[in-house]
Amino acid sequence: MKNSNRFPSKPDFSITILSQTQLLKMVVELTRHISTLFQFPVAEAQKISLAIDEAVTNVIKHSYANKSDRPLTIEYYAAPAGIRIRILYRGLPPDISDEEVNIGRMIKKKRKGGLGVKLMKTIMDSVTYRTVDGENRCEMIKWREAK
Amino acid sequence: MKSFQIRSKMVNSVAVLYLKGHLDAHQVARFEKELVRMIKEGNFNILINGQDLSYITSAGMGIIMGYIDEVREKGGDIKLCALNERVHETFDLVGFTEIYDFVPNEQSALEKFKPLPVKA
Repeated sequence: MKNSNRFPSKPDFSITILSQTQLLKMVVELTRHISTLFQFPVAEAQKISLAIDEAVTNVIKHSYANKSDRPLTIEYYAAPAGIRIRILYRGLPPDISDEEVNIGRMIKKKRKGGLGVKLMKTIMDSVTYRTVDGENRCEMIKWREAK
Repeated sequence: MKSFQIRSKMVNSVAVLYLKGHLDAHQVARFEKELVRMIKEGNFNILINGQDLSYITSAGMGIIMGYIDEVREKGGDIKLCALNERVHETFDLVGFTEIYDFVPNEQSALEKFKPLPVKA
């Protein structure tokens, strides 16, 4: 049975950046590059990088309320079965609803946000959030095999 | 060179927005500003031409979602055309392709707009 224990205890690569949206493009390109190094096809690597873009954007926008001087760390773990990416940050804990996103309802409410988590969950096989001792952790896993 | 560029022009009675490059949360304010300007000027038939758009996140899609109801209430619409496969797939991942009109090219898209209701 697949589980995240297949991943190494320490990340293969990690980077700490400031909470600045101007760095998102760099994060996307880095994630795409690492995913291809970990043997994901280019199309899959592009989607994984989009999911990470969404996750980091949520951290900057919601947990750090667009403050540009807060740190966040992105860790990449490779395993034969897939890739695990963790985003570690402080600030406000995530407020993630399990409710299914209803685009029609969001349009009626003229909402502009709320699509990012749907994208993350659609692209990745697992998306989990937890907070321990003030440190928030978003963990995403993508397996090589089809869902 | 900026990683995201936007320009607009009127074609017949349709406001066409040309998006180019990488549209993420860092760039989205410029897209929203231009879209809002179009709407405030009374242009409710809006076509987003994404021929040169290489990347979009939920930030950009959220802007389209946030204004579509207002535009449709005025009898208009926001349509999208000429998206590359990757960008189209991103819209598809959140279910937009079932709600918005995606057209292969600009000319076909322009022909699909209905005339706006005449103001009393």
